[in-house]
Amino acid sequence: MNLPTNLRYTSDHEWVAGDGPRVRIGITDYAQDALGDIVFIQLPTVGNTVAKSASFSEIESTKSVNDVYAPIAGVVVAVNELLGSKPELINTDPYGDGWICEIECNPSDLENLLTEEAYKLLLGH
Amino acid sequence: MSVKVSPLDVVHRELGAKMAAFGGWEMPITYPTGTLIEHAACRNSAAMFDVSHLGTVRVSGVNAFECLQSAFTNDLNKISVGRAQYTHLLDQFDASVLDDIIVWWVRDDVFDVMPNASNTARVQEAIGGVDTTDTRAIIAVQGPQARQVVAKASPQAATVGRFRVAEMEILGARCTIAGTGYTGEDGLEIAVPVARAAELWRALAAAGGVPAGLGARDTLRLEAGLPLHGHELGDGINPLEAGLEWAVSWDKETFRGRGALKATKETGLTKKLIGITIEGRRPARDGTSVLLNDEIIGCVSSGNFSPTLGYCIAMAFVSVDTPVGQDVLLDVRGTMLEGKVIKLPFVAKKK
Repeated sequence: MNLPTNLRYTSDHEWVAGDGPRVRIGITDYAQDALGDIVFIQLPTVGNTVAKSASFSEIESTKSVNDVYAPIAGVVVAVNELLGSKPELINTDPYGDGWICEIECNPSDLENLLTEEAYKLLLGH
Repeated sequence: MSVKVSPLDVVHRELGAKMAAFGGWEMPITYPTGTLIEHAACRNSAAMFDVSHLGTVRVSGVNAFECLQSAFTNDLNKISVGRAQYTHLLDQFDASVLDDIIVWWVRDDVFDVMPNASNTARVQEAIGGVDTTDTRAIIAVQGPQARQVVAKASPQAATVGRFRVAEMEILGARCTIAGTGYTGEDGLEIAVPVARAAELWRALAAAGGVPAGLGARDTLRLEAGLPLHGHELGDGINPLEAGLEWAVSWDKETFRGRGALKATKETGLTKKLIGITIEGRRPARDGTSVLLNDEIIGCVSSGNFSPTLGYCIAMAFVSVDTPVGQDVLLDVRGTMLEGKVIKLPFVAKKK
């Protein structure tokens, strides 16, 4: 299980990169593996304000549809357009080219996210 | 009900399969290769599936033929010993399809009736026989190179033709082989004694068979326009609505549900099964409403991304007057997707 130490995590299996206010968001290696082959993502809309833990994106795999929850409150400032034609990047490179969007947040909110150690415990490793 | 495990369970765990409950069994949904690669292997070379969860009810004796003739819709007089036939068991009163079944006519007075996993008990209730499901595993080798793969284990087994059935030894184990499958590709299904199943699986894998899970089996059968009980067949759906009248032999004077089905045919159908191709990659899954001119005209029974076509496809029951070529909308949780009605299948077998 690939878990970079420089990221923050949520119990809903998203990761957050950066110290803010602009942070990058994706889903974890554990999440992509559990979902199976991803065939579609409904990306969030740039300019939208999202509330923490609100569903702001949908990922469809060959198995099922799954919500992606905002790990942090803020405004969506960029989305990974490449996923429109290559959603499988979430499977093959979840922390790199498979990033989902960027949000401008209040940096102090980042303290509420999980460290790599805490997320690993949550996964039972 | 306790969850059953396949005789090949240990092999799946060695391979790192993701297991999930299916019809009362814990079966591999996908291997680490992933559904899309497993799907492509079946279309382009050869995939192998553990389908041990299918039921086997052995009906034998001098009354076996008549027993099946009076229970099922299709006519065994159309085939003969050493052949397989697709058939239905109908509800006596409303002609709903209680199960869709493949019958293997193994010997003169011996038939292996193969129901869907969760329907084995209701089929046995209708026809009697002996449930031999626990005595064997079934390995389905499917794809344009399926026969080359099987030939490496048994050249003789690889010659069993489409919808033919034969008993023979493979690697010293007494097997029943049928030229049947559920992927829209040529292939063979091999019933092998439980104690020899893992050995045969490994031999077929070593011969080039790509292990594939039930996830790929579902996307393959969907592309081939093949029905899945509980989706395209089941309570409230008769064979005519599902477009499977070819599996109903009206020439037979009696079979279970014949009167009810005849009455429905004379009254006229209210819905029919069609295919819908959908622009884009967002699946319209079962339960999705199909709309025309702001009115709901039907409902998706199965839908997913088609790995072969690169866009989404769905099977749906719609009002009978809906023509091929009709543009429709699909309501996926509030987002309207554009679709077009087509004649099934979506992907035809390469000749």
